[in-house]
Amino acid sequence: MSTGTRDYVEELRDMDNSRIGLYAVLLFGIVFYLFPVETAVMTMFKTQGEFARTLPFAPPSADGFTLSALATAWNTLRPGLLNSLVMAIPATIMSALLGSLTAYGLTTISWRGQVGVVVFIIAGIFIPYQAVLVPLAQFWYQILPGLLNGFVNTVFGFITGGDWAYPSRNGYVQLFQLSITHGAYGIPICTLLFRSYYQAISDEMIEAARLDGASAFSIYRNIILPLSLPMFAVTLIYQFTQVYNDLLFALVLVNEPAAQVATQRLAALTGGVVQSFNTTMAGAIVAAFPTLLVYIVFGEQFAKGVAGEN
Amino acid sequence: MAQLTLDNVTKTFQDDDGEIIAVDNVSVDIEDGEFLCVVGPSGCGKSTTLRMIAGLEDITSGEIRLGGQIINDQPPARRNVAMVFQSYALYPHMTVRENMAFGLEESTDMPDSEIDQRVEEATKMLGIFDLIDRKPGELSGGQQQRVALGRAIVRDPEVFLMDEPLANLDAKLKAEMRTELQHLQEDLDVTTVYVTHDQTEAMTMSDRIAILNDGILQQCATPLECYHEPNNLFVAGFIGEPSMNFFPTTREGTTLRADRFEYELGDETAAAVSETTNVTLGIRPEDIELADSTAAVNTFEAVVDVVEPRGNENTAHLQFDADADEQFTMTVDGMTSLKSGQRISVAFPEEAIHLFDTGSGEAIRNRTLDEIETVESVV
Repeated sequence: MSTGTRDYVEELRDMDNSRIGLYAVLLFGIVFYLFPVETAVMTMFKTQGEFARTLPFAPPSADGFTLSALATAWNTLRPGLLNSLVMAIPATIMSALLGSLTAYGLTTISWRGQVGVVVFIIAGIFIPYQAVLVPLAQFWYQILPGLLNGFVNTVFGFITGGDWAYPSRNGYVQLFQLSITHGAYGIPICTLLFRSYYQAISDEMIEAARLDGASAFSIYRNIILPLSLPMFAVTLIYQFTQVYNDLLFALVLVNEPAAQVATQRLAALTGGVVQSFNTTMAGAIVAAFPTLLVYIVFGEQFAKGVAGEN
Repeated sequence: MAQLTLDNVTKTFQDDDGEIIAVDNVSVDIEDGEFLCVVGPSGCGKSTTLRMIAGLEDITSGEIRLGGQIINDQPPARRNVAMVFQSYALYPHMTVRENMAFGLEESTDMPDSEIDQRVEEATKMLGIFDLIDRKPGELSGGQQQRVALGRAIVRDPEVFLMDEPLANLDAKLKAEMRTELQHLQEDLDVTTVYVTHDQTEAMTMSDRIAILNDGILQQCATPLECYHEPNNLFVAGFIGEPSMNFFPTTREGTTLRADRFEYELGDETAAAVSETTNVTLGIRPEDIELADSTAAVNTFEAVVDVVEPRGNENTAHLQFDADADEQFTMTVDGMTSLKSGQRISVAFPEEAIHLFDTGSGEAIRNRTLDEIETVESVV
């Protein structure tokens, strides 16, 4: 065919055009998303005066360069960062693991009344944080200490002498409470994510495992768990970001200064009367760093999980 | 090894509209080492039956016994059965070795070395030893199928259950695996229940065929019995490809009156159907003969509509009248040329016809058979 080669060339040319278009869109995307970040990074290295003189996204000049904003932010946030990690990592793992187990129990094992439980759990996703603040505070500060004090002093009264008190004011106890709260609050969404993932897993494979003599737990550990690693990446990233970025629960549940989390410290950093943009930006970058790290570490698995690859 | 018995096994499902009977009072005895094919159209309850034997479905009523012991309430893992699924159901994150070892690890206390040895033996037997460290995703359909078989074999079960294991293979591989499976089953001598919708598979592989329709067992007999002596219209129509021709007729004395022809019965045959008025006449395509003229009794004129050449034989679709919708098929030798539109004479030999009660579908009289010829072996 004489036209065959020409068609092919034209096709190539067309494809090149679409490539150029694709790269243009990608470039626009990069600029669009990175511009604010670049601005923040530039600003955090500028003195207050330099910030006023230059465009926000322009790099600082030699005299206008300073590390003091970053140092201030780092020093203010550092204890908060550690507290945040101590609180967010267990909470994230708890949500993902319990969500995965719940989803397994609600999809691959069949029992009566499953649908009701699923509806109940999904409803849990839509309860706003604000709605539970008061009962949450009451639970951790009145109900639980009351119950525990009563129990411990009754059963172990011969040791405590009846005056043991739940250490509500202890910073670590408060962090622990916050961690448990976030962990529990994350279970519904994790369950939903895992459930849709598990529904795609072949029933025949689970049946084959049952015929192979595997118990319900063994099926979970040997088959479901290894197959759900991509979804774990999704829930870990999502849940970590959620928990780490939360300020509302932290404000209500943590009032010991030593136990404050990164978001609380960030609020303190920027909450002054005079707006110093450089420390604010430095604080934002420092505070965002752990979430960024999580995305980088789990990025590949995350993409697989989102794409629904098994 | 053991005998498997299904005794009045029934399965009903609850639906919005009420109860659906999936399997209705099925009773079959499967001898030790026997290869039984359960065959039937989609939704006839054959897979449900298999799943009840496996323990994946509850039994609504009836009993399943394995080696004399009732296994109704035993969990799947305790039944000592192994199943091969249509989708193979391999564990995608495990290698071939791990896939095959999993069942032994979960259900026995066997030491790892022995498990390894059994897995390797099975892979050698199936010709997949080279693939032992690959994952299912890196294997072709046929290879995956072998792994699925191997997973069942290493368990050394009392019963193999196979749910359309060859359905996903291409035609050539299917034929190969059919032979191989037969060999394997003979070598291992394990009682096997094989579910398929493909009557060719059922005919070629099994010792006996159980034909199900609407959850009811129609017939359970050897392939040749099912073919030549079907119990009823359903079996007659289901077994055989192309399927048997049926003509609804009304009997008047010794004559069967159909829409387009009249069939004269001999005395003996007529006596057999003397109590039935509505008789369905059945004749297999290969039993219809070409005749020189329509002068002889039970010889009719027909028009060739379409001819499907198959090499060894031709399948001709015929009509009694060029403008009639009703068609029937006959097969002729591959070297016999028939042309579309050609008018020919066909004979329905009386010894080859099957007669059924149109109302109940029951067979009244099956064809008469010559003695089966045996071939002398060369010594």
